[in-house]
Amino acid sequence: MKKKYLALGLLATALSASAQKAKDSAYKQQSVSQTDVQVLFSYYTQEGDHSAVTGGIGTEALQVYAPEVTITHKRDSVNTFYINTGVDVITSASTDKIDHVVSSASRVDARTHLDAGYSRLLRRQRLRIGVHSGFSIESDYLSIPVGVTLGHTSADGSREVSAHFQLFLDDLRWGRLDPDHFSPEKLIYPEELRYKEWFTEYKRRSYNASFALYQVINARMELAVFPELVYQHGLLSTPFHRVYFTGDSLKVENLPRERWKVPLGIQLNTFVGNRVILRSYYRFYKDNFAITAHTLQLEAPVKITPRLTLSPVVRYYHQQASKYFKPYKAHEIRERFYTSDYDLSAFDSYKLGLGARYAFYKPFLGKYSFREAALRYAFYKRSDGLSAHMITLLLAADHTRVHGPKKK
Amino acid sequence: MAAVVLVMTLHGCVSVKPYQRAYLNDENMQPGKPDIEKFEAGAHTYREGASGGGNGKASGGCGCN
Repeated sequence: MKKKYLALGLLATALSASAQKAKDSAYKQQSVSQTDVQVLFSYYTQEGDHSAVTGGIGTEALQVYAPEVTITHKRDSVNTFYINTGVDVITSASTDKIDHVVSSASRVDARTHLDAGYSRLLRRQRLRIGVHSGFSIESDYLSIPVGVTLGHTSADGSREVSAHFQLFLDDLRWGRLDPDHFSPEKLIYPEELRYKEWFTEYKRRSYNASFALYQVINARMELAVFPELVYQHGLLSTPFHRVYFTGDSLKVENLPRERWKVPLGIQLNTFVGNRVILRSYYRFYKDNFAITAHTLQLEAPVKITPRLTLSPVVRYYHQQASKYFKPYKAHEIRERFYTSDYDLSAFDSYKLGLGARYAFYKPFLGKYSFREAALRYAFYKRSDGLSAHMITLLLAADHTRVHGPKKK
Repeated sequence: MAAVVLVMTLHGCVSVKPYQRAYLNDENMQPGKPDIEKFEAGAHTYREGASGGGNGKASGGCGCN
C-alpha cells in the first residue's frame, strides 16, 4: 500500500514536471488550458433561544439552503480567470419578528452573490497578481467587494508570501428587491420602533488587509501564518435588533461606528505515515469591542484507499464578551452603546464533523473529467444553548485542452 | 513567544526537491481552508464575534460582523 501511494505521488510529480518541460520547450510550444467547474450545495439549520431580533430572548430557529458554483479557467500557466456565484435562501423565525406578522415576507430572504476575478503570473519575478470584484445583495443589504492580491514564490518553491487587500462597500437600506420600489429606501427597524430614525447613516465600509506566509518545513510538513488587520466604519449595528433595558425601555441596538479587528491564524499540516494527514489550526483574535477569542481546530484526513479519504474534524472556540453586550433587560438606559446579540456574548463552542472525499478522475464526454465528490457534515454547539447542523456536498469536474503550435 | 517559535521553526526548514514533494502536493496538505469548509467558515463568522485569520472573509459583505 505504501508503494502504491508513493508511486501515485511520484507519477503526479513526474506528470507535472513533464507538462512544465513541454511548455518551456522552444521547439514544441504547447500550452495547457484547464477549466474547473465546482458545485457546492450547503444546508444549515440552527436552534437557540437568544435571538437578537427579540432582544436576547426568543427563538433563533434558522435554515439556510446555499447552492453555489465556481468556474475557474486557467487559460495557460500565466492567466487565470474565475467566477463564483450562488444564492443563500434563508428561512428565519426571528427575522419574522421584526414586524410581528407571522409568515410575513421577512420570514424568507435570499442573498444572491457573485464574485469574479483575474490573476496573472509574472514568471520572471515569480509574482502572481490578481484583482476581483462582484456584489452581494439581499432585501436589506447590498455589498460591493473590491480586492487585489499579490503573491510571491521563492525560487525553490519552498516559501510563498501573499497579501490580499479588500474593500467592502456595504449599504444596509431595504427596498432594492421589493417590487414596489426596486431602489434603496430606508433602514428596517422593529415595527414598534419605527416612530423615529435611529441612525443617520446607512453605509458600512470594511477594509481588510490579510497576509499569508506559507513555508515548507520538510518533505512532510508545511507551516502557514495568516496575520490580518481589519478596519470597519459606518453603521455597524443591525437596525432590526432590539435591546430591552432595566425598567422595560426598548431601543434599537447601538454599537460604535468604528471597529478594529486583529486576527492571527497559524496552521501546521503534517503527513504522518502514509495514510494520515494532521491539519492543525490555531487563531488568536482581538478587537476594540473587547472581544478576545481563541480557536483551535484539528482535522485528520485518513486515506482509506488512494481514492477515498475520510476526514474527522474537531474545533473548539472560546470568546470573551464584548463590553457592549448584556442580556435581556440588563442594560442601563444611560449606556451609550448596547447590544443583546449573543454572538457578542461570552461563550465556548465546539464543532464535531466528518468529511468523505472520493477522487474519480473519470473521463466523460472526451476531454471532460469528473474529478471528485465530497460530503461533509458538522454538528456545532454553543455554551449558551445554540446548536446547529451543517451539511455540504461538493462536486467537481474539469476540462483540459492542449493547445499545440498552429499549422502553417 | 509565538515569534520566537516561528523563527526557530523557519530556521529548521530544509530544502525539498521537486521529486520529494509527493506528500506536500497531496490535496489534504494544502494550507488554508478547503472549499468544502467554506460554508462552515461563513457560518462561524455569523455566530461568533471573531473572524478572519485564514483565507476566508474577515468582515463585510453580509449583515454579520
